Amino acid sequence: MSTAASYLSAVSEADARARKHGATPASTPALSMSSSVTSSSEDTVLDESNVDFTDGLSFPRVPPTSSQVFTTVHAEFGHCANEEYRYTSQHRAGVPYKSIPEQDPPYYILLTTYISYILVICLGHLRDFVGKRFRAANYRHLLPWNGYAALNSDFDSFYTRRLKLRIDDCFSHPVTGVPGRTILLLDRYSPDYNKTMIPTGTRTRALNISSYNYLGFAQGSGPCADAVEKSIERYGVAAGGTRLQGGTLDLHVQAEALVARFLGTEDALISSMGFATNSTIIPALVGKGCLVISDELNHASIRFGVRLSGANVRMFKHNDMKALEELLREVISQGQPKTHRPWKKILLIVEGLYSMEGTLANLPVIMELKKKYKFYVFVDEAHSVGALGPRGRGVTDYFGIDPRSVDILMGTFTKSFGAAGGYIAGSKTIIDRLRIKGHSGVYAESMTPPVLTQVIASMASIMGITLPAEKPSSPSLALLRSSDNTPVIPESEVIPGTAPASALPSWMPLSPSMIDGSDGRHRLRRLAFNTRYLNRGLRKLGFITYGNDDSPVVPLLLFHPGKMAVFSRMMRTRATPIVIVVVAYPATPLVTSRVRFCLSSAHTKEDIDEVLRACDEIGDLLDLKQAAGERWPVEEIIKRAVEIVRLPEMP
Amino acid sequence: MNSSSQSLELLFNFLSRSYTTLETNFFKIPGSAVVARYVKSSHQNDPGRTLLEVILIIFAIRTLLQSRTRGDRSGKHFITFDEKEIDELVDEWTPEPLAQPLSPEEQADLDSVPVIVGPTGPKPKLSSGKTVINLASYNFTGLAGSEDIKAAAIETLRKYGLGSCGPPGFYGTQDVHIQLEQDIADFLGTEAAILYSQGFSTISSVIPAFCKRGDVIVADRGVNFAIQKGLQISRCTVRWYDHNDMDSLEHVLESVEKERKKRRGPLTRRFIVTEGIFDHDGVISDLPKLVELKKKYKYRLILDESVSFGSVGRTGRGLTELYNVPASEVDMLVGSVANGLSSCGGFCAGSHIVVNHQRINGTSFVFSAAMPALLTVAASEGINILRNTPSILTTLQENVRAVRAILDRVDCINIPSHPASAVIHLQIRWPTLQVPAPSTSSPSKLSRSNPASVKPRDPPQFNVELEEKLLQDVVDEALAQGVMLTRAKRLRGQELIEARPSIRLAISAALSRKDCEKAAGVIKAAFVKVIGKRR
Repeated sequence: MSTAASYLSAVSEADARARKHGATPASTPALSMSSSVTSSSEDTVLDESNVDFTDGLSFPRVPPTSSQVFTTVHAEFGHCANEEYRYTSQHRAGVPYKSIPEQDPPYYILLTTYISYILVICLGHLRDFVGKRFRAANYRHLLPWNGYAALNSDFDSFYTRRLKLRIDDCFSHPVTGVPGRTILLLDRYSPDYNKTMIPTGTRTRALNISSYNYLGFAQGSGPCADAVEKSIERYGVAAGGTRLQGGTLDLHVQAEALVARFLGTEDALISSMGFATNSTIIPALVGKGCLVISDELNHASIRFGVRLSGANVRMFKHNDMKALEELLREVISQGQPKTHRPWKKILLIVEGLYSMEGTLANLPVIMELKKKYKFYVFVDEAHSVGALGPRGRGVTDYFGIDPRSVDILMGTFTKSFGAAGGYIAGSKTIIDRLRIKGHSGVYAESMTPPVLTQVIASMASIMGITLPAEKPSSPSLALLRSSDNTPVIPESEVIPGTAPASALPSWMPLSPSMIDGSDGRHRLRRLAFNTRYLNRGLRKLGFITYGNDDSPVVPLLLFHPGKMAVFSRMMRTRATPIVIVVVAYPATPLVTSRVRFCLSSAHTKEDIDEVLRACDEIGDLLDLKQAAGERWPVEEIIKRAVEIVRLPEMP
Repeated sequence: MNSSSQSLELLFNFLSRSYTTLETNFFKIPGSAVVARYVKSSHQNDPGRTLLEVILIIFAIRTLLQSRTRGDRSGKHFITFDEKEIDELVDEWTPEPLAQPLSPEEQADLDSVPVIVGPTGPKPKLSSGKTVINLASYNFTGLAGSEDIKAAAIETLRKYGLGSCGPPGFYGTQDVHIQLEQDIADFLGTEAAILYSQGFSTISSVIPAFCKRGDVIVADRGVNFAIQKGLQISRCTVRWYDHNDMDSLEHVLESVEKERKKRRGPLTRRFIVTEGIFDHDGVISDLPKLVELKKKYKYRLILDESVSFGSVGRTGRGLTELYNVPASEVDMLVGSVANGLSSCGGFCAGSHIVVNHQRINGTSFVFSAAMPALLTVAASEGINILRNTPSILTTLQENVRAVRAILDRVDCINIPSHPASAVIHLQIRWPTLQVPAPSTSSPSKLSRSNPASVKPRDPPQFNVELEEKLLQDVVDEALAQGVMLTRAKRLRGQELIEARPSIRLAISAALSRKDCEKAAGVIKAAFVKVIGKRR
């Protein structure tokens, strides 16, 4: 616990900075961050060397006053004290789930998209044709040479060499520092059309709308980082082997128990890599004689796992419940191919939130179908856990479905918890079986202590912690929870499954905001606001977006391959640089190249305003506003943000 | 009558009118005259050909319109049911449970896994409260407890946070990742290296990145599970050679070449896949011979050094340093950062072409978040330590020798592992040879194993359940005496070849020589007590 002196010094420093930067807040935000206390004045110790004070990236646009002192660095986690800018991510009961209707662009867009692909492909072949004759040395590794077949034939690599290379400056950009609200790009340039990238040595701080950091736990300071530091001091960084062969620490046991408690399942197991969670566990669930029904847009790791399992696979159209039911009726009545024996078991694999589409699995309907058709349900919550639901428990929480009615809940810690690795949760029988039959238990390295600690700390701060009986009444805590200004918390968000302090490592430092769960709640509500605001704001501007309003992944359709690069470059070179992710074929269908925004609790409302303004300008320039429906000017959207977010349904 | 002929006339009129409009419109299209002339003349020469062409066009249209999904609906095995029948079938169908509950033996096996309380290391504390000598965890060079690494990790934590929050392609590549890739490449002496975020998933992603359907892989029969999965995913043609038998390898390489010549097939990519130190038994591959053979037959070599990197060689560079073979001779050198440098993740080192190819085609590289920054820095620091303190590896070798000196002489233990390997497998040696002595000493050239099958010609016979139970008793007995061991756990039933049950020791440089000798003594006593009793 910090001393009163350091607290005061932080407050006075924050006030001093507020005065220094001039701009007195027009309206003092209503909230006092009742539960947050500075442990140091890190707000002020950020590297100020090459910081542009006007862009609002390194310091809050509205400087905090003495009544609000933040525990975090603004560049990692934006400060937003306005209690208006909060929302709860929850499915409205009684309304069937539907995503935003997918709008088709005008025909000329599609036509020109195809033409531009054809143009680039023809040009590529022409260059190959000429190049192979006049610059054979450059093609040597693509052709058979000296009795060796080419490692990667010119045909296989055509797409990469001739299409992707053109816009390679938008991919694999090296960065440094915390991938939080902002990110430090290591600038680079290419003298030879992206073949080689040369670092210039300078760095650019950009607004980060690209990292999977939904709850903003990517932080180098704050309670989670403090816990991780303690754990490194105590445990080092190695776990030393596989789970079943001398690599099980007490932390693994604690983390698994906490994950199960967090999700509300009987048991859970943890694996050290998200991709491997799927690829090594699915083969232990199904095998020959079993059928996997898989959404056509499922992640590569699921396909990898299913292929290893040897089970039969059938796919159905993305999120099309009619197609799913038809398929179920067909496969159950037909049985296994040729032999017509009944299937041993049928496993339906869907993702909670599709990371390229922003759509949610239609879980309510799936659970109805499950009752009738008796298949097992595997929900990959890689993106949805933490990011959805009033309590952050993922897609089951969002729809208000009992997590125990889903057979397998899989998820990762990379996205919402700022850690790495993944988990599988379900009944104890299943999990125990997977512990010994899954590939990772025996052969894959176990999760390292720092990562485990991050998982435990971030999860506990979402859950809130129940202290042993006498503690909550201690005067210091009561003082911290000043009752007057606490925001009203809806019934649904009062968390029943708090983490008992006994379930956490005894050495872990607990901050007050973790204990009362206010930190986690704050993050969840801010993410829900940001998400809805950007989704709806973009549509009000006239862009074609996919997905659900509550999805923190927001895909904006570009269509033309050339526009991807231009969009990405224009965003990156603005006065306030913004980094976003552009994706195209093969991750998406050929014509629907898109930009993907990944929102975070760390973003402030002003950040989203900035993104909207940028999109508005670039969208006009690139002719991207193709959606039908009512349009608003960007300033009006910004002004009426709260109204837009609170609309139960936006046409 | 009259009215019908009138209506017919109307119809003919309409037809002829529409024909003329069609014709005039058709001839308005540029180039249509050429088409018309072509059709006319071809019809004139060969009227049958017109029919054929019309059929072809119809067929093409039909194929284009057909749904591309592979529905079984049209197949000859499809049975049509009406809705009621389907409902009945749905009601009737009862699936198997998703997972069978554990049997008591499996439960006991799972419960017997020791839980370390606090940090892992040479002498960790277990949940029972006991402090034990650790011969189970991978900590060859003792980096697990290094204070330098801890300090570097904490510094990185404050600068980078923990997670990288994105795949390498989308702002997940941090400068520390680039640095570690460079460090590994420099350490081994290759052009470049690529970092994966889990050791186990590395090779099962590297193999399918290069080997596609139709390519040929020649693999050792004793390769580890991750390689087996990589081979399975890649769908290429696999030929097997006897475990660590270079004669057999040469024979298989020759037979593949013969086969290709016979079929006059095109030149395909060909790979030899094997391990440095085999995870299954601790045998070390003969790298110089491998390199010689791969050059002679023009193969590329994929070498899995998951166990050997960081445990053999003068400074822990692995097999290439041990045999003094330049690492650039190995086309894809795969290693584990988790085992070798006590962090997490894996890498593949090779030429720029090999590495850059994986940045787009390595499935678990592309589709997975990058490694946490602090673990990356911990690994870089680990390389630094190994570079600067060659004495670590000397100590490790001394410890290995100390343990081997005691265990080699126990007559109920059979050690297949190489004397230099820091991973030592202990198998049960039965007094009366239940197994006909494997005829490895005099391989009859006439009856070799079939390269197309993973099963060797005369597989060793052993009783898995009995041996595993006895070995578990040894493990329990050793634990009671203060030495933590582990059986080499296997996924029985999922592996291509069932490996002989064994106890796997992982020797660490962090242990003192005295502790090693003490531990070896305990193991010896436990073996004699458990196995000797049965004699």
